[in-house]
Amino acid sequence: MRKKFKLLCVILATSLMFLSACNNNGTETTNGSKSKNKSEVDISIVLKTLSSPYWKYVEAGAKDAGKKLGVHVTVVGPPSESEVMQQVNMIEDQLSQSPDGLAIAPIQADTVVSTLNGKDLPMLTIDTDSDFKGKLTYIGSDNHSAGKTAAELLIKKLNKGDKVAMINGALGNPAMDERAKGAKETFEKSGIEVVAEQPADSDKAKAMSVMENILQSHSDIKAVYAGNDDMAIGALRAIKAAGLDIMVVGTDGTEEAVKSIIEGGLYGTIAQKPFDMGYLAVENLLNAINGEEIEPRIDSGLDIVTSENAEEFLEFLKSME
Amino acid sequence: MSQVLEQKTVEETKVFKQSQLSLKKYLSKFGTLLALFLLFVFFSLSSEKFLTVDNLMNIVNQASINALLSLGMLLAILTAGIDLSVGSMLALSSMLMAVVTVNIGMHPILGIITSLGVGGLFGLVNGLLLTKLHLPHPFISTMGTQFIGRGLALIVTGAAPIAGLPLLIQFFGTAEIGPIPFSFLLVLVVYIFMHIFLSNTKTGRHIYAVGGNKEAARLSGINVDRVLITVYTISGLMAGLAGIIMSGRVNSAFPLAGLQYETDAIAAVIIGGASFFGGVGTVWGTAIGVMIIAVLRNGLNLLNMSADLQMAVIGAVIIGAVYVDVLRQRKRKKNKN
Repeated sequence: MRKKFKLLCVILATSLMFLSACNNNGTETTNGSKSKNKSEVDISIVLKTLSSPYWKYVEAGAKDAGKKLGVHVTVVGPPSESEVMQQVNMIEDQLSQSPDGLAIAPIQADTVVSTLNGKDLPMLTIDTDSDFKGKLTYIGSDNHSAGKTAAELLIKKLNKGDKVAMINGALGNPAMDERAKGAKETFEKSGIEVVAEQPADSDKAKAMSVMENILQSHSDIKAVYAGNDDMAIGALRAIKAAGLDIMVVGTDGTEEAVKSIIEGGLYGTIAQKPFDMGYLAVENLLNAINGEEIEPRIDSGLDIVTSENAEEFLEFLKSME
Repeated sequence: MSQVLEQKTVEETKVFKQSQLSLKKYLSKFGTLLALFLLFVFFSLSSEKFLTVDNLMNIVNQASINALLSLGMLLAILTAGIDLSVGSMLALSSMLMAVVTVNIGMHPILGIITSLGVGGLFGLVNGLLLTKLHLPHPFISTMGTQFIGRGLALIVTGAAPIAGLPLLIQFFGTAEIGPIPFSFLLVLVVYIFMHIFLSNTKTGRHIYAVGGNKEAARLSGINVDRVLITVYTISGLMAGLAGIIMSGRVNSAFPLAGLQYETDAIAAVIIGGASFFGGVGTVWGTAIGVMIIAVLRNGLNLLNMSADLQMAVIGAVIIGAVYVDVLRQRKRKKNKN
């Protein structure tokens, strides 16, 4: 038995070595062809996830830029926004394929630092910033001002002393925390009372049950701000089911949210420009690869979507597909 | 004369049966190793970056956390139990380690002791819940402590991550000796110790006995409660150690660390040939199970397969592995009959 096991190990090991020898040859030839075919620039983008519309728009923008600028773009991301370590692994796996540039949307700002620090290629952050050596720029809208803009949109329709509720992203998600902070500060400054504030992890179903619970004790609220559109739609469902009329504003500007605005569901959404973020990431990385200077902070801007401009915005979203 | 001949033929058929049996055993024992090898071949052929020193070191580095959690899980599964709280224990112990070293500013060695201590204590509680409160199955008790641990980890800092750990703790996750990650060597040492513990100590053998048949073990004078408490405490310790490596690697502790890691650990143990029915499983089998999952994840990443599809692939592998376990069980029953 032991002998057989040893024999098996030896066979497996030798065949592996043989294989790796073959592989080395393979690498050399492809490297050779790579230097001949220099037009093919490889850009890797690691997002927080690819499983929600928002990140699909970022991906679409990056791919569109790739097509227009003649760059090969790879976009990857873990299955959900809570998979911190899997994202770090994905970054390592992208780096080991030696891309020419890397854009990253860190789930948590600190966790990617030791992996990326001082890596020898053009790198930038999108959506969420992180501080590591060698980062060229941060492309994103300001999450704090997204929350603030949403609150201001609601305040126009509210009176002093009115009660509102907030549905936030997962606790400890810095981007979502900033939005919540921006909204809360703005509400409180205008004398609007935030009577409930609960996390629903950016999840539609969770937001629905969170909203149901809030309505149990606060059926007199006038408005709800949700940190993203999925949660806004979940909250709206709970409100409709309870037969109440409460204004809901979300964030992100997803297709579902915009359609809901057109149908008289959501009151509005604050759209970041995910498509632009993806596009700008590829464009700026390419500029950096070509040796151009790029600005240390690039604002991708915000759009306010209400029933006034929802149709227009929907057409824009559809044109991206 | 004829009697002697008959005896001989009987003996011959016995020998023949045995050799056939050992071939089957051989296949079921090394089938997973073969599967790992085939994965290596497949990924080497489909991605030129797979079989490079850098990438292989990436794989063992990425595997180290699951490797430790799986070891604790192996012990629990050997006793026909399960430990669903490993991920939460990892999060809680690493958060408290970060509080001790970063927020309070104590010596990193105290932080390391905190992490191991919290993990061990939490595991001890799992064991006590199971044996003293007589909760029906560790699935229930560790599911409860899974939520408790995650909740506490979130409460510690109001859900905020803690960054900027001391160098000594970072060393656990990032140090390299030559091209080899320190964490991998540490895991290797722990595996060797665990192998010796399981195969050469009385407690180790008792763990198998309890898993094989709890009542029989009790009747033969084994202190079943003490064995179970030891098992869950070790699992907690492993989670504490994994917490040190993980937060060292990313230089921060965060309360959602290790979310759903129990599934990867269970998968590794089962793919590694351990049986959910208890009493069957080895440390090296688990090591291969851990490597299969790590190689799958890494290889599929290199092929840029979407994360969603990866989940489906890994799910299929788990079902396949459990089905093999079921087949083995059937054979075992047949052989007994």
